[in-house]
Amino acid sequence: MRLERLALSNVRNYALLDLEPQSGLNVFIGANAQGKSNLLEAIAVLGIGKSFRSGRDADMIRDGCERGMIRGEAVRGEGRVQIGCSIVKNGNSTRKTFTRAGRNVRYAQFLGALTVVTFVPADLQLVTGTPGERRAFLNTALAQQDAEYYRALSHYQAALRQKSALLRADGNPDEELLAVYDRTLAESGAIVVLARQSFVEALAREAAIAHERWSGRGERLELRYAPNVAFEAATQEAVRAALASRLREVARTERLRRMPLAGPHRDDLLATLDGRPLSNFGSQGQQRTAVLALKVAEYLVMRDRSGEAPLLLLDDVLSELDEQRATAFLGGVGDYEQAYVTATQRPPRLPAQSALFIVDAAQVRREGSVAC
Amino acid sequence: MPSPGTIAGPLQALIDEFAKFPTIGPKTAARLAFYLLSRPRHEAQALAEAILGMKDKVRFCSVCFALTQDDPCDLCTDERRESAICVVAEAKDVYAIERTGSYKGRYHVLGGLISPIDGIGPGQLRIRELNDRIGVEHPNEIIIATNPNSEGEATALYLSRVIAPLGVAVTRLAYGLPIGGDLDYADEITLSKSLEGRTALS
Ligand SMILES: [Zn+2]
Repeated sequence: MRLERLALSNVRNYALLDLEPQSGLNVFIGANAQGKSNLLEAIAVLGIGKSFRSGRDADMIRDGCERGMIRGEAVRGEGRVQIGCSIVKNGNSTRKTFTRAGRNVRYAQFLGALTVVTFVPADLQLVTGTPGERRAFLNTALAQQDAEYYRALSHYQAALRQKSALLRADGNPDEELLAVYDRTLAESGAIVVLARQSFVEALAREAAIAHERWSGRGERLELRYAPNVAFEAATQEAVRAALASRLREVARTERLRRMPLAGPHRDDLLATLDGRPLSNFGSQGQQRTAVLALKVAEYLVMRDRSGEAPLLLLDDVLSELDEQRATAFLGGVGDYEQAYVTATQRPPRLPAQSALFIVDAAQVRREGSVAC
Repeated sequence: MPSPGTIAGPLQALIDEFAKFPTIGPKTAARLAFYLLSRPRHEAQALAEAILGMKDKVRFCSVCFALTQDDPCDLCTDERRESAICVVAEAKDVYAIERTGSYKGRYHVLGGLISPIDGIGPGQLRIRELNDRIGVEHPNEIIIATNPNSEGEATALYLSRVIAPLGVAVTRLAYGLPIGGDLDYADEITLSKSLEGRTALS
């Protein structure tokens, strides 16, 4: 799939922008703080409805403005669809609204119109970072490709927030109410767990292949899903029963410690190299290569599952990698349909099908498009 | 439009009042106020009296907690109504269901939905009152018609757990309503259908 138009109004440092990205590789070149990353961020918002940067949604609205708007035209197969996201200041809070084909839609219906794989320098710590970051990685990838996953995850998270509040507020919480939340946690949690399990299995296969190609020394990369609650069979009923039974076991401790203690909100994704955990034992080079393999795998699995290549958004990350790894990464994803890269300097070698854009103080100019 | 500083004080005061309404921004508030200004005095008087009359005379029914002028309300005293009790979150939901014309039973307004995040537990809602009514009225069915969002679902499950032991059938609206939707915005046909197709809660 690809994006054929990107229109911004009052987003970050852009007052107004109308851009026609090309198929293949789109390279945004410019000095720092000119607005390169803001373009990739805007495209990511069209895909996942939120920024890949930390910070508040309100930060995406241009200074002094009340509303920022991102619109785009996504093309997949033979169909094309207009999608949009508005971020509106509303007193102290911010409201986001989504459109698809000109109609207001909920976030759940917006998700999936344009799927993206983002790769930013912070991802280089994915293997060594916190389990929460790895769960966020799984959630972002799965929510884009699986509407049922997103629905189950929302239900799970809503029930978890309520249960946390109930346990925190009351040393003697209502038993029946806890049972209600635990039931939702077990039912929605089972859907989340099974989807993660099969996604990580697919990721592990692709990552191992990519890694083997790159690592001359024949090291073996293994990715493994580490669910917080173990289960015997990979069926919804078995996982639900395992979660329900674990929740009963920890119920007393949860009341004492006044917090929820078990379930997929404590899952993790583990990476080992030749059987040794990469987070503790790997060198920085080995850890980075593993992350590259994971990102390539994310791209390939998403492509193979939906039959549509997702957009690749590489913000500042290629410059963080040595040339060998950068080339290996782009070679790993192979026949991407559309990719976006930011760089401070013109890359020495570019694929034949690439478009170069110069970004300077929120002005974007296609190089070579000026008539001579 | 004149700038706020040039508008006569009493007119500005009315604009400010309208602007407090939900979905009404400053522009619409000004349009409403200018419209009223152009109407004869008796119309403005009728509006003012309707507002005060509502505030003075409308109260909650002491049995079902729907809005009423007489206590108990017409819905509770009408002998022709069936014994089923339809449980809703807010008084306005009673009107959404009455509008369908397809329900002939009674109501019970909880006064909200369970949400510990917002400090609302079962004790803050009129659940004990519902239990008492079941003991007195012996309804043949409890229909839970809370919104299909996560708080509505949790409240429905909670009620079914505490009511089921009383031996009365508990059902839930079969939602053709959108997930995360709102009774208030459902059209009458959708709501009628979901009343007809209600399902047992376990
Ligand atoms: Zn009444």
